[in-house]
Amino acid sequence: MLKKKICMVGEFGVGKTSLVRRFVDSIFSERYLTTVGVKIDRKDVTVGSASVTLMLWDLAGEDELTPLNLSHLRGASGYILVVDGCRASSLKKAVELQQRIAERLGPLPFVLVLNKADLRDLWEVKDTVVSEYGWPTFETSAKAGSGVEEMFLALAASLLSVNAAAEDPIE
Amino acid sequence: MPTDGAGKRASSDDQPLTELRAILLGPDRVAWDALRQRLENPSRRAEDVAGVLAEAVRLRSDVKLRRALQPLLEEALQLSVQSNPRMLADALFPIFGKAIRKAITSELDGMLQALSQTLEQSFSWRSIEWRWESFRTGKPYAEIVVLRSLLYRVEQVFLIHRNSGLLLEHVAAPPEEASPETKDPEMISGMLTAIQDFVHDSVSGAESENLEAIRMGDVGVVLAYGPDAILAGFVRGVAPRKLSRVFQDALDGIEQKKAEALRAFSGDTAEFDSCRPRLEACLVGQGKAEKRRSGSWTARLLLFGVPALLLLALVGWWIYSAAIERRWSDFAHRLANEPGIVLTHAERRGSKFVVRGLRDPLAADPASLLPAGLGLSNVEFHWEEYHSLAPRLAAQRRISELKDELEKRAFGFTTGSAQILPEERFLVEDVGSRMLALSQAATALGKTIRIQVRGNHDPVGSEKFNSALARTRAENVRLALIAFGVPSDILIAVREDLEKETCGAVAEEERMVCRSASFRVVGVP
Repeated sequence: MLKKKICMVGEFGVGKTSLVRRFVDSIFSERYLTTVGVKIDRKDVTVGSASVTLMLWDLAGEDELTPLNLSHLRGASGYILVVDGCRASSLKKAVELQQRIAERLGPLPFVLVLNKADLRDLWEVKDTVVSEYGWPTFETSAKAGSGVEEMFLALAASLLSVNAAAEDPIE
Repeated sequence: MPTDGAGKRASSDDQPLTELRAILLGPDRVAWDALRQRLENPSRRAEDVAGVLAEAVRLRSDVKLRRALQPLLEEALQLSVQSNPRMLADALFPIFGKAIRKAITSELDGMLQALSQTLEQSFSWRSIEWRWESFRTGKPYAEIVVLRSLLYRVEQVFLIHRNSGLLLEHVAAPPEEASPETKDPEMISGMLTAIQDFVHDSVSGAESENLEAIRMGDVGVVLAYGPDAILAGFVRGVAPRKLSRVFQDALDGIEQKKAEALRAFSGDTAEFDSCRPRLEACLVGQGKAEKRRSGSWTARLLLFGVPALLLLALVGWWIYSAAIERRWSDFAHRLANEPGIVLTHAERRGSKFVVRGLRDPLAADPASLLPAGLGLSNVEFHWEEYHSLAPRLAAQRRISELKDELEKRAFGFTTGSAQILPEERFLVEDVGSRMLALSQAATALGKTIRIQVRGNHDPVGSEKFNSALARTRAENVRLALIAFGVPSDILIAVREDLEKETCGAVAEEERMVCRSASFRVVGVP
């Protein structure tokens, strides 16, 4: 059985928890997010012929007063940067978080998620700006459910390819 | 010398070749010489290797290099300890010192816990049971206390990858009826790690400190930490201190065996399936007290019931025999106090009570003095008769004598007459004085006696006449006695009907007995 730890990071209120809720069945209450600063859910997915258990660490959103606790990212195989399409500041925050995580944990597979696709008319985040970074990007709507599954599956697939590369003989 | 000549020729032949070589390879040759020198000179070679060694080791950071270095490092350490142990001790002190302090604290904690528990239970009924068990089995009392007082059960064990919080392996004890179903162990494993991080961040900054236990009501979590893994156990009940050690030992074993796999862990947990037996060994527990009790119910009954019954029977018998004893002694006391009875010997011989002594025939019947609950069949009397001088018995005897004397006396009359004969006049005084004595003796005993004066007649004459004659005779004697001084109320004149045949058969001279007035004392005690 293959298991992977994935962290959801992003600015406060971008919809990380809603995305996870769309995707999994949870046993823990969301109160953990405000008390412990993290809530953990599980989702079993199948990529090709391999089945993977994704342990989703939903980290409390960062704002000015509560910085992201990077220690929760220890041991993660990948992470999801969540951005609220309606807030340009959330993209800035995501870029900043990506840098901090890369500094602390080295290069890890991740995806950029532009959430709230159902409100696309009100988006401040421009596609052209996003594409400049060259990151794998997904548009999702936690509310409507669109793109959520695809995004998680894509990340799982990229984690598996990293795994396969790591298991290649080094000698 | 031919050899010298040949050598010179050769060298003179080589001369141009050498020169040519110098022209062609001039600059390279210097470099070659330098290289040769470098390769041949060990100290230069060492300098070269030193320059790249660190980089080379970094490049070859795989298992092979580690394996190659392992014996060298071990030997080096051994040498270092042999030559100067202090250096290594100093280096390790910051780690060991802390660990040792922690171990001692934990040990002291454990001792305190055990001590307080023992004190709590020293004076209870359970402790008596334990002491008995200790005596019976030969185990030290302390061991029995620990064995019996700590009831717990490890219900689940989680082996968790320390870095990622991913669950490597999970085992659960077979569920009991009451215990709730197991929640997703994967998520529990993750949250445990997150909470551990949270507590760590909130409480202290020291990297080496860890959350050691979590407790909520009856359920607790025991945690053991290794460099790459965490072993967590959900425990129901009061876990003993030694449980942490069991967990730590199991984890140390796993860390040692799976060091490589743990370090290189990238999500594949199949590697850790072989750890299951070690985790299952952590599913320890102390059985429930009730179960243990039901198992040995018969033994407990034999152990406590039979002695209790015996004790009860013994106490009952003791109380019964004491009561019997008291009754016998009461009886002996009453006999001894009874006038006219002198107790010389009284003893119990088996179930019989043997009494020896002197007894006045006038004394009370000893059998009537037996208290309720003692049968006459249980007593053996041996009496010698005697005359007691006790006032009551003396008076009684006197009354008896006077009564006998009185009843032998009679006034004779001539045929058809009721007049007291002059020659019988002396009898009035004789009888009267005896009656007075009798009356006094009876009064002394608190009794009242009556004396019947009975008038009799011979068979000659009509019945009617004779009846009146008998009454008159009795009355005349009574009046004579009253005149003498006998109180009138104790004298009753009655006509006695003697059997006609009795008197009819006798001769004339003997008919005097029939023509008489005689006495009968009544109311003698």
